[in-house]
Amino acid sequence: MQTNRLSPVMPLVGIVAGLALALCQYMIFVYAPVEQTMGIVQKIFYFHMPLAWWSLISFLTVFVASIAFLRTRNWKWDALSGAAAEVGVLFSGLALITGSIWGRHSWGVWWTWDPRLTTTLVMWFVYAGYLVLRTLDLPRERLGTVSAVVGIVAFLDVPLVFLSARLWRSIHPAVFASKGGGLEAEMKTTVIACIVAFGFLWVALTWLRAAQRRMAARIDVLATETTI
Amino acid sequence: MESTQWLLVANAAVWLGIGAYLFLMARAQQTLDRRIRHMEMLGDDK
Repeated sequence: MQTNRLSPVMPLVGIVAGLALALCQYMIFVYAPVEQTMGIVQKIFYFHMPLAWWSLISFLTVFVASIAFLRTRNWKWDALSGAAAEVGVLFSGLALITGSIWGRHSWGVWWTWDPRLTTTLVMWFVYAGYLVLRTLDLPRERLGTVSAVVGIVAFLDVPLVFLSARLWRSIHPAVFASKGGGLEAEMKTTVIACIVAFGFLWVALTWLRAAQRRMAARIDVLATETTI
Repeated sequence: MESTQWLLVANAAVWLGIGAYLFLMARAQQTLDRRIRHMEMLGDDK
């Protein structure tokens, strides 16, 4: 039986992601200097920020793939939007958790209703709801259309998350809003290395999950045809 | 809790989250493989 085979490039991306993340860990714990005001806990920033940024890229991917699906009715876009939403919910959830741990240490509270935190939490719930929606027992065509429409509308919150720390009075810093964010050279190198490392992880996870979703959809169609 | 411990807890949380997602993906792949084998067996019977 012919199924969607995985690309031979995919394992390579996974290996590169693993090596890049190992390097990122080395840079966080060994290479990057300890920040003088916040101390060693500031190093949470090196995985907190890449997770947050790549979650926003995930939701941008959901938005673009949903539009592409409605225009072309090609199911590969539906699989990509589902996969990107899953990885986005994972990454934004981890960004919320790491931010909460950092906040508990620095601000003395696990959570505060700050504009950046609140819009991020709303975004997490919106996309978690989107994933629940995708599991509904509806006809395939209808579910694909409804998911794509929700995937487009849900994106409304994403620019708000990005701009919240700049638009409103927020205790959350707008990183790189000023020139380079006032980071030392080693800190800047570390944060860039971690953004790249988490980028490889994001590509590997999204690609693999999208391939799995395409394969599952193909098996569903073949199973239905066999039954008929 | 000391600052280093907060950092380690946050780091552990990230790897637990990613590890859990990889585990779920591996389970999903096993399910797909099982369904493919099942369909191949049905195809061979015809």
